[in-house]
Amino acid sequence: MPGINMIVCSKQVPDPEAPPSLFKVDTVANKMVTGPEVKPVISQYDEFALEAALRIKDKLGGKITALSLGNKIVRDVIKKALAVGADDLILLEDEAFDGGDSWSTAHALVAAIKKIGQYDLILCGRQSSDWDAGQIGLGIAEILGIPAVTLVRKVEVTDRKAKVERVIPDGYEKIEVTLPAVITVTSELGALRYATLKGIMAAAKKQPIVWKPADIGLESSQVGAAGRRIKLTKLFQPVKEAKCEVIEGETAAEAGANLAMRLRQAKLL
Amino acid sequence: MDFQLTEEQEMIRKMSREFSDEVIAPRAKEMEETGEPPYDIISKMAELGLMGIPFPEEYGGSGGDWVSQLLCTEEISRGDVTLGTLLDVTTGIVCQELYVFGTEEQKRQWMVPLAQGKEIGAFGLTEPNAGSDAGATQTTAVLEGDTWVVNGTKQFISNMGYKNSSLVIITARCPQFKREDGKGVINTFVVPKGTSGFTIGMHWDKMGLSSYPTNELVFQDCRIPRDYLLGRDGRGFAQHLQVLETGRIFIGAIAVGLAQACFDASLAYAKQRYQFGQPIYSFQAVSFKLADMAMNIALARLMYLKAAWIKDEGLPHSLEASYAKLFSSEMAERAASDAVQIHGGYGYMTDYAVSRYYKAAKLLQIIEGTSEIQRYVISHNL
Ligand SMILES: Cc1cc2nc3c(=O)[nH]c(=O)nc-3n(C[C@H](O)[C@H](O)[C@H](O)COP(=O)(O)OP(=O)(O)OC[C@H]3O[C@@H](n4cnc5c(N)ncnc54)[C@H](O)[C@@H]3O)c2cc1C
Repeated sequence: MPGINMIVCSKQVPDPEAPPSLFKVDTVANKMVTGPEVKPVISQYDEFALEAALRIKDKLGGKITALSLGNKIVRDVIKKALAVGADDLILLEDEAFDGGDSWSTAHALVAAIKKIGQYDLILCGRQSSDWDAGQIGLGIAEILGIPAVTLVRKVEVTDRKAKVERVIPDGYEKIEVTLPAVITVTSELGALRYATLKGIMAAAKKQPIVWKPADIGLESSQVGAAGRRIKLTKLFQPVKEAKCEVIEGETAAEAGANLAMRLRQAKLL
Repeated sequence: MDFQLTEEQEMIRKMSREFSDEVIAPRAKEMEETGEPPYDIISKMAELGLMGIPFPEEYGGSGGDWVSQLLCTEEISRGDVTLGTLLDVTTGIVCQELYVFGTEEQKRQWMVPLAQGKEIGAFGLTEPNAGSDAGATQTTAVLEGDTWVVNGTKQFISNMGYKNSSLVIITARCPQFKREDGKGVINTFVVPKGTSGFTIGMHWDKMGLSSYPTNELVFQDCRIPRDYLLGRDGRGFAQHLQVLETGRIFIGAIAVGLAQACFDASLAYAKQRYQFGQPIYSFQAVSFKLADMAMNIALARLMYLKAAWIKDEGLPHSLEASYAKLFSSEMAERAASDAVQIHGGYGYMTDYAVSRYYKAAKLLQIIEGTSEIQRYVISHNL
């Protein structure tokens, strides 16, 4: 099936590898705040989705459009998609897109996907590395009315079908799905390839296409925080307490018995 | 004034950093223990295009700049110094010398595979009796008809011991000729591996960088065609010193990468090692060492990047290259020593990377002109 059109949704997130102490919770605004030391990266599962698309393109050719929604998207971060081999990069970038939930984000992405028009396969990460909701891929499929397969570790496209392997707790399923379809990709697929110098040089020269809400036929009130249907009522960092109690006894056997009693008292035995 | 890297430079740095962290660093200990060059990593670096960043695409490069090549070198060296020195010699010196002084034919034949990273190049300046005083070369090249006949020995030559090394650029005295100013002539020549009369002699065992080959090269009635002369007749030594300036910026970047590795390991260790009931980082004697390290790394990075930027602008940069080389290499040695100190007894054990960093750091004060020679260069330019 030559000329397959793929759209990969990829999100910029604060680097989850940064030390936990750099992530703070603003309990008044119910928001996570990070210092400037935490650099943005492409969400890792989205990188796997991009790699899945690249492997298909390696075999069959075709076109990959990377699609990203956010505000203040850092160019040298998101352009990695172009540097590794995506053909186009479309950014839904505006202040209005800030603070959305899965609902408003999926709607905006679908509006953009409809504007792109041609798609055979839409690839997403299984979840984002920041909020882990795991809803975007399924939301897109639902709104578009096309099938979705989650937790994909391998995908091959033949004859208007995708043959995929889907990870389950103790193995994997082999599934065939008709196109167009959405698949969400998991880490077992393998890491995203490195960008080559050639890819980076070409990506640096290429400018992303930027769409505002109006460009995809939406009002600012329908996207981002204004378009939310879910309200986060409380965000807090749980306080972990550790207490140490020394169980004594005349002899080792007695100490052991005391320990068992204490554990039972604490309902741990 | 603008300290912002371009998008392209930032992307090259990020990619090199990821590659270094994920592919190089996990192998560094094994490389040091076995002394085996990591050919799989080297060919991956070639595929990514890391060996020829500043050269035009038609000569096997990527059409980038020296700032990017040096940012890449810093990141690679943070993973392992041997791969930084590989880049220094093959890209910074040999490729550049062919690019700047080679004929079109020489560039096509010799430079392209080096810039693509398919082959590796070496340079031979040092001799048993010509170290810091590199102009005292005793190797000779005598013209017989259309052939140069080379005799002599080059000492401590890097890069020639790889399986895929292809050539060495050497300096040699040409006693038949005199320059217009009456001085003796030193020329540079390209000698391909496998030329009869050219043998790769003893392989040196070193205290560090064991997977980085260092050999003696012996030339015995080694005959090369007349057009293997590189650049202008009579100007070979000056040409070579010119590209060595770039080598000094490379050593600056390598030293910064090494010092950064020392810092990262030491900061993590100091926060996790408890003595007297608290992390050793809470002792000022330890945390101040790390403060100095962080500051010196930042300063050294600015200096090598400035030197590289001036080079990209096509302006003279002898002084800046020497500042970068001298400051960074001395800084890295101090950082490596402090890193071992912060790790205490564990730091002396080969299980801990800082022991390897300590051995590597010393080299950077010696190669590409010792610290003393840098001070000589600087003081003679003031
Ligand atoms: C691992 C390794 C790899 C190398 N790779 C290469 C290579 O690829 N190609 C190559 O050509 N060379 C290479 N070298 C050689 C290196 O460049 C020389 O070792 C270096 O230039 C010093 O020369 P030397 O060892 O003969 O020391 P010497 O010149 O004998 O110096 C000994 C000491 O005297 C000091 N000294 C000498 N002259 C002066 C002076 N005028 N004023 C003050 N102090 C002075 C020096 O600073 C040094 O401290 C390599 C060396 C090593 C160790």
